Amino acid sequence: MKLSKVLCRQHVGFMFKRHWLIQGKRVPIDLGMEESLKAKGIPVEDALEFVKEKPEPRERLEIIGPHEPIKPLDENHPDYKEKPCLTLKNSSVLLEGVSQAQVLTKTIIAEGRLPHKIEELAELAAPKAVHEGVKKAILSANVFDCEQKKLPKIKDSVRPAFNFPRILGISDRRRNEILTNKLVQLVEKSNDAEVTQNKYVVNDVDCQSIFDKEGDLIQFQDVSNILVTSNKPLKHELNESDIPFIKIPDLYPVKHTVTLPPEHFYDDNSKYPLRPSVAKKHPHTTWLHFNKTEVGNLYESPVTQTQILGRSLTHAFTVASAYAKQIHGEDVKDLPEPIHINCIQTDGQLFHFGVFELNTLNVDGTDGVKNIWYTKNNVKLYDSSRYLSGMPVLENYNPKVYSYINAFYNC
Amino acid sequence: MQLLSVHRTFPRFKQLIFRGYSQAVQIQNEDYTDAPVYPPILDLSLPAKKLRTRQSLHKKIQNINTVEEKQIALNMPRYYGWQSIVLNENKIPFNAMPLVQHYTRTHFQLLDKLPDIYAESSATADIVLQEIKSCIEECIVTENEGVERNFVTSLNIPEKQQIADAHTRNIVKQINRIILNNLTDKVSHVLSSQVDYNPRHEAFWFVGGVQLPSTVLKWRKKQKYYKNRLHEPLDRPVQYKGSPLLTIRNHLPLKPIIPYSEIENPDFKVPKFSHCPKTVGYFTEFRHGTNIPGFWPGDFDEFGLLSFHGRGHILDRKDSFGQEDNLEALHCQAIQASFGWLLAQANYQGFTTFNDLTYPLVTQTVVTDGQMVSFYAYQLNTTVIHSDEVDINPKHNICFGTKPMKLYESIENGSVKGLNEDVLKMLIQFYLNAPEERDHEMKPYLGKEEQIIADIEDDNKRCWLESTYKHLVSNRPKHNLIPEVYDWEKIYKIQFNTRFYEARRRPFELDINPFQRRLDEHLPPYIPKVLRPYPKSKKKFETTYYPKV
Repeated sequence: MKLSKVLCRQHVGFMFKRHWLIQGKRVPIDLGMEESLKAKGIPVEDALEFVKEKPEPRERLEIIGPHEPIKPLDENHPDYKEKPCLTLKNSSVLLEGVSQAQVLTKTIIAEGRLPHKIEELAELAAPKAVHEGVKKAILSANVFDCEQKKLPKIKDSVRPAFNFPRILGISDRRRNEILTNKLVQLVEKSNDAEVTQNKYVVNDVDCQSIFDKEGDLIQFQDVSNILVTSNKPLKHELNESDIPFIKIPDLYPVKHTVTLPPEHFYDDNSKYPLRPSVAKKHPHTTWLHFNKTEVGNLYESPVTQTQILGRSLTHAFTVASAYAKQIHGEDVKDLPEPIHINCIQTDGQLFHFGVFELNTLNVDGTDGVKNIWYTKNNVKLYDSSRYLSGMPVLENYNPKVYSYINAFYNC
Repeated sequence: MQLLSVHRTFPRFKQLIFRGYSQAVQIQNEDYTDAPVYPPILDLSLPAKKLRTRQSLHKKIQNINTVEEKQIALNMPRYYGWQSIVLNENKIPFNAMPLVQHYTRTHFQLLDKLPDIYAESSATADIVLQEIKSCIEECIVTENEGVERNFVTSLNIPEKQQIADAHTRNIVKQINRIILNNLTDKVSHVLSSQVDYNPRHEAFWFVGGVQLPSTVLKWRKKQKYYKNRLHEPLDRPVQYKGSPLLTIRNHLPLKPIIPYSEIENPDFKVPKFSHCPKTVGYFTEFRHGTNIPGFWPGDFDEFGLLSFHGRGHILDRKDSFGQEDNLEALHCQAIQASFGWLLAQANYQGFTTFNDLTYPLVTQTVVTDGQMVSFYAYQLNTTVIHSDEVDINPKHNICFGTKPMKLYESIENGSVKGLNEDVLKMLIQFYLNAPEERDHEMKPYLGKEEQIIADIEDDNKRCWLESTYKHLVSNRPKHNLIPEVYDWEKIYKIQFNTRFYEARRRPFELDINPFQRRLDEHLPPYIPKVLRPYPKSKKKFETTYYPKV
């Protein structure tokens, strides 16, 4: 509504202010009280004698609260650097997806295949009890868990202004946590104690890798939702001769740093979550969750399939390179021995498997030594699992996924 | 039905119908017996009549077929939810032990070691202990010193507590992983068990033997109806809310710690605590009662074996409470958590706070901060604590607990100093305690074919009950604000009748207590005319399927 005379007339606040102004200028009327009191012999005193002076402003005290005060993000911040660092976080994706990730990490891709050993191990059939366990895990994650949180707003493209009632249910973060943790538990339970003793499983650990590419400083900050580590480094025997690799593409006209926002507050060093003193520190398999409500494009357009797949690659690169830098130092370029790492990304239904071979941390240009990424994408664990008209439903369970996870664990 | 309507149109038609089943002799037999049978002599005094109505309600709830409908039935009397005393897992006020014991009807025994039933697994535990000792030491060191983590804290809980609990969660996950992986080959129940992280545990029950709130007494004094029964006991609804760090559950229940025949032993004493819960520091909240053991009805693994709880809340207690009270707070936490979880499980077996358990249920609870560990074994024998039964029910629940013990002394130079093998052994014994099939009926109060609403065949009824149950237990705020008496009304209408010329429309002017509104006292969803079935339907509103209690 326009601020007009009508509004002013109706507005209680304005009216009150104006009224206050008028009343503040009132002149006290002599009621003859003083004289009549004096006539009766009652002493009259000036009221102003009793009015207290304004108290002096006190100095501001710094109160120690229950939480540490957050330092303002300015030039005096301890992490402030002059040179901006282009940052890819766990909650954002690359514009060009896989191809941009390829350029950034200088990687060639073997699409739709995994190393021989894993394919062989995946052929082994698991006992029935284990598959029952997997089904239980799926149902528990999608149906039987009691979390009741507000799910994202439902939008209908035909009626964009229509407000649907918000549904309460299991959030995608919780769903992924339950499913993946239960799967890892099942794999470990079905393996011998000797195998599991050599492994270590940590949840939600941060990895950070910072590197130069063609004059730009780039950092990847990633969260490994489950990181399985082992007592000796993972080794794959990769036979490269007969594989049709996808070469590193040219992104022109897009620059490879697109959608990496510059950041002035960052740490110079890469960070691998397990300290060098730990015996079982060598990364084996890293699990990455794709939580639809948390991961998004910088410009709010929906995340595409290729962007999700690109996430796997950058994630594997982050963990592997952070680990490499912990072993060989911050300035290492070509590695004396390649580092391998398995990566599994899931959104709770689709599984993307990958094996990453880190050969070099010199990611300038497209020539020379390159990193290798084996991937098998979009393996569906089940078609649907939910309450269908009041009944819990699990449709089309695919036992293949468990075999792959088991193979990844055992290789 | 058709014939009946024909009768009305053609009065003589009735004579034409052959009456094949009229047998005069049989009727005589039914009406007359050799010895006179009199109807039972009922006590017609008001308290007795009231008791009979309550008992018939309990009977009705017992006869309901499905778990979820029973839960809705418990909430039927209150549209805006019960004004429940909330027992929070992580907030235990000073000197809460007598209250918690009374409210859960628990006899607590402090032991130095585990109860005798665990002796049989001692030998196996020793073997396992030697195998996993080094792993446990390693994981403790790694979690304390080897992993860099960023704990994200929220503002509503004290920071210290959050960090301590997050740290404990990581250690518990590791220890659980090591023990489970080792035991899979040795004992069969491990593979079939499910492990949950941070499940939602809620339990709801009624407790009797608590003093009347002053507001109730004040109100009763004004009523003629209450003239001679001013101090009639009142049930207080209680709600437990908690979230353990980790739980393990199985499709079979644990063996009882003490036999069911011994539970009426009068040696198991429970202190009475009749004071108002506000005096201790417990407050009330309007909410629908919920019984949730971490999963929805229908999950196969419905018996808990073991739960781990953090003790970060101890850090937030005042220093003036003292060590002794901190120890009691841990016992309180364990009693509340065990009772809450078991009661919720019992509810999924068809028992409620009005229909007593017919067999005992057992759970094991560990309260820890990663270094200090205390063990509790809990046996749930009874769930009825409401005011009719609180003084006469001979059964008690029993909790055996230990003091907190150190799992290890310290961590020096990257290795654990002084690992306490006895503590670790107790923990392994908890895992080794195998669940067993019982030889009695587990769900006597549930239907034969319909035990949960997913079993119901009527599509509309199933969907309606499903959505209503989930909506009820979510305790989502109501769309309309809950009724209240505004301050100006209290002054100008209630205390001083200055607006006598106004029409009386507000509930307090019409002598209506809006909080007495029943759950089904609302208009069902309207069916628009276009959506009504063809050709002609006068049914304006959708059917509701509230349980009839």
